[in-house]
Amino acid sequence: MSTQIRLRNCAKTFADGTRALAPFDLTIEGGETIVLLGPSGCGKTTILRMIAGLEFSDAGGVISFDGDDVTRQSIEKRRVGMVFQSYALFPNMTVAENVAYGLKVHGVPGKERDARVDAMLEMMHIDMLADRRIDQLSGGQRQRVALARAIAVQPRVLLLDEPLTALDAKLRVRLRTEINALLRKLGITAVYVTHDQEEAMALGDRIVVMQKGEIAQIGTPREIYRKPQNPFVADFVGAANRMTGQMRDGRLHIGAHVFDAVDAFDPRHGAIIDQGAVELYFRADGLSPCDLDEAHFTGRVEAVSYLGERLRLTVSGIGPQAVTIDTHADDVIETGADVHCRVNADRLTVFPAVAAHS
Amino acid sequence: MRRDWKFYSQLGLTIVLCLFIVVPVVMSALAGVTVNVFKGLSSGLTLRWVFEVWDLYAQSILLSLGIAMACLVVTLLAGVPLAYVLVRRPSRMMRLFEELLTLPVAIPGLALALALLITYGGVSGYRSSWLFILTGHVLFTLPFMVRSVAAVMAAMDMKMLEEGAASLGAGFWRRFFGVIVPNAKPGILAGALMVVTLSIGEFNLTWMLHTPLTKTLPVGLADAYASMRLEIGSAYTLIFFVLIMPLLIAMQALADRGKRASRRIDTAEDTL
Amino acid sequence: MSSVEHIKEGRSRPSFPLSLLPLVFGRATPGAGSPAILALLMLPGLIIVAAFFAIPMALVAMRVADGPDGLATYFVILTNERYLASLIQTLVMSGGVTVTALILCGICGLFLVRNRFAGRNVITALLTLPLSFPGTVVGFMVIMLAGRQGVIGSVTDALWGEKIVFAYEITGLFVGYLYFSIPRVILAVMASAEKLDPQLEEAARSLGAPTWRVVKDVILPGLMPGLVSSGAICFATAMGAFGTAFTLATDIDVLPMVIYTEFTRNANIAVAAALSIALGAMTWAVLAAVRVFVGNGATSGTGGGA
Repeated sequence: MSTQIRLRNCAKTFADGTRALAPFDLTIEGGETIVLLGPSGCGKTTILRMIAGLEFSDAGGVISFDGDDVTRQSIEKRRVGMVFQSYALFPNMTVAENVAYGLKVHGVPGKERDARVDAMLEMMHIDMLADRRIDQLSGGQRQRVALARAIAVQPRVLLLDEPLTALDAKLRVRLRTEINALLRKLGITAVYVTHDQEEAMALGDRIVVMQKGEIAQIGTPREIYRKPQNPFVADFVGAANRMTGQMRDGRLHIGAHVFDAVDAFDPRHGAIIDQGAVELYFRADGLSPCDLDEAHFTGRVEAVSYLGERLRLTVSGIGPQAVTIDTHADDVIETGADVHCRVNADRLTVFPAVAAHS
Repeated sequence: MRRDWKFYSQLGLTIVLCLFIVVPVVMSALAGVTVNVFKGLSSGLTLRWVFEVWDLYAQSILLSLGIAMACLVVTLLAGVPLAYVLVRRPSRMMRLFEELLTLPVAIPGLALALALLITYGGVSGYRSSWLFILTGHVLFTLPFMVRSVAAVMAAMDMKMLEEGAASLGAGFWRRFFGVIVPNAKPGILAGALMVVTLSIGEFNLTWMLHTPLTKTLPVGLADAYASMRLEIGSAYTLIFFVLIMPLLIAMQALADRGKRASRRIDTAEDTL
Repeated sequence: MSSVEHIKEGRSRPSFPLSLLPLVFGRATPGAGSPAILALLMLPGLIIVAAFFAIPMALVAMRVADGPDGLATYFVILTNERYLASLIQTLVMSGGVTVTALILCGICGLFLVRNRFAGRNVITALLTLPLSFPGTVVGFMVIMLAGRQGVIGSVTDALWGEKIVFAYEITGLFVGYLYFSIPRVILAVMASAEKLDPQLEEAARSLGAPTWRVVKDVILPGLMPGLVSSGAICFATAMGAFGTAFTLATDIDVLPMVIYTEFTRNANIAVAAALSIALGAMTWAVLAAVRVFVGNGATSGTGGGA
């Protein structure tokens, strides 16, 4: 029942010649939630708008819904539900009228329409707001109305363009959980655009990480998190610490230390990195504080921030830039102190050094 | 970017509307430099009429420019502080005052002129001087200055700016001239252009307020249309266009710059 | 000056007129000027408005009431057949011009905002050209267009051997009013069209709405405040327009011409004043009603006499 979406050889070049999207293929399975993740200007919204029918692909691209070619079909014929960052609710209509709008356009008769609207409002927990004007609603309420409006017409695909960005942090998490439950319940194919890595992890069956108009990696949240395929993805999903090292005969050398248990598979070249300069990306768990005699490195604490369940240290003197390291929340560490730490080699992601592959 | 019949029919209508505006302007400009309008352009081009207008009406034209400048000075001195107070201290009383201030724009100039004549018509030295006309112009243009400045001030979060300046130790006048006025400059500039343009072109009030010795440019125009040959009227209109055109272009450029500046902020956020 | 100093400090009892200041401006707050300074800033504007507008207007109003017919003079506009006919004619004319200008400028303004093509900026600039033309010049433009030597006359003469001249009739006046209305309305339409959220349209289309529905449900409601307020300004300007009729020297009795005739030729000052106050009140009422309708600040667009 859910619609499968295929994009083949799609690309986008704007009228002024700037290339927004390099040619790419993407298949979204029926019922799947796919998240397009990346920084501003990476092309993720352009892909969403292409699926919606608000942008057309350059010549040669083909978009199909369940095998029907919709490439040249305009948005009003595609039956897509859209949710926007700015909500885009009609200010001249009440909440109920907004939700009923699509049904009205599709000629759903009055009685059935009312019933559907009521059901939608109830599902989104906004039934008590039915007769309110839009400007009387909070941001969270508005986004619920926008969701109800989009799914009321039972679209083939639900497209969400940074729907939570305009909300405050707490509400964002709550609504995110609700959207997740809603998407599972409806079993609808959904495309969700965001620049927030956490949101992407929480919602996506698969995540498409985008960089400068190209797809950097497609994978499940777990794959993206644990096995980023290039430094950009690693950095973007939070492995922001960086060190440099050397691979010699399959063993990793960092300074004078040698490590064995390293996953040095380079997915871009499909081979294990055996030799040469490498860059190592890792999260705060890649290094852990220890006693001097176990330590690989000693750095200087530049800043300490208390995060409740742990203490996060910003340490200089280890990598080319300062790195962050976590320690027990109860430890008492002053800025300016020396900190000894050891490398957890299995937590490092290894990439060939930039000069080696560019 | 698919262009169909809808695009072209709308473009057509727009062009027709544009021609409606422009054709008479061009016609009158041409008529002002044609030797004989009844014979048409073939009779040759001449600047004779323009010179003749200058001989006849130089006084009016110069008076208009003078009044416009004086009007600008008065509206700046009165309008900028007024806009500040209106934006900074909105209250019911202020609303009422603003309404009163704007009324001269809403009610016909004729009514305003009558009121001035009935009240001050007997003060002979004042009645017969150009100051009488200036009074009318100030009443009519002041709301434009205030609105234009107030709009910019309202958009610039003056409270924060002022509190910032105050926290750095700046006293009121220092804040006003050092922070408020410079930041309101786009509004002041737009208001100034508007005031000068409106003052130069004002007719409804001026026609009632003028005396034979205090004729302004538009009064002279009406005079020329009524009693001179078509070429003179046209040449005079041409002079008016030449005077007003730079002001209009400056206004347009200012508006465009404002729009571009705000767009630049948008795109800066996009690429961050 | 010493009591002003006291107020600045916010201590001591100020003298009576100065004690009113906080009532108007509220209490002195750090960061803003003190009430005394605010009052000083307002003073020039206050004097201008009071001395040259409020008081003269009040005097005129009293003068009319003291006249031979007393307060009834105000209703002469309704009771006198000639004035009433003139009022109706002015109303119909202004209404007609407003509606025409709204339709034409609504289409063209939206078109200019939505489409990018070569010459677009030039067209926009040209359409707003007559914004500050005095009524007399607008009248002259009508003569250029439809007068005895006008373009339309010459063209029809060349085509059919018949000169069509309508500058000096009611049609000419209508054309003149339209001429000075177009720039005002087109600017307002373009300003509100630029503020339309394109995502609203995209949302409507994603829900399946065809173009006509998008226009009816999204674009028109979005433009409505701009259309209504610029329509009001257009109407008000047309009601008070004097220069155009004056230049065309028609025998059409629009109200401002009637007032002018009463004042200059018949020296009937009381009636002229009553008529102009009635005209002013009506114009102001239209603007005020519109402001209530679309919210404050809507009629702040570009007025200006014509």
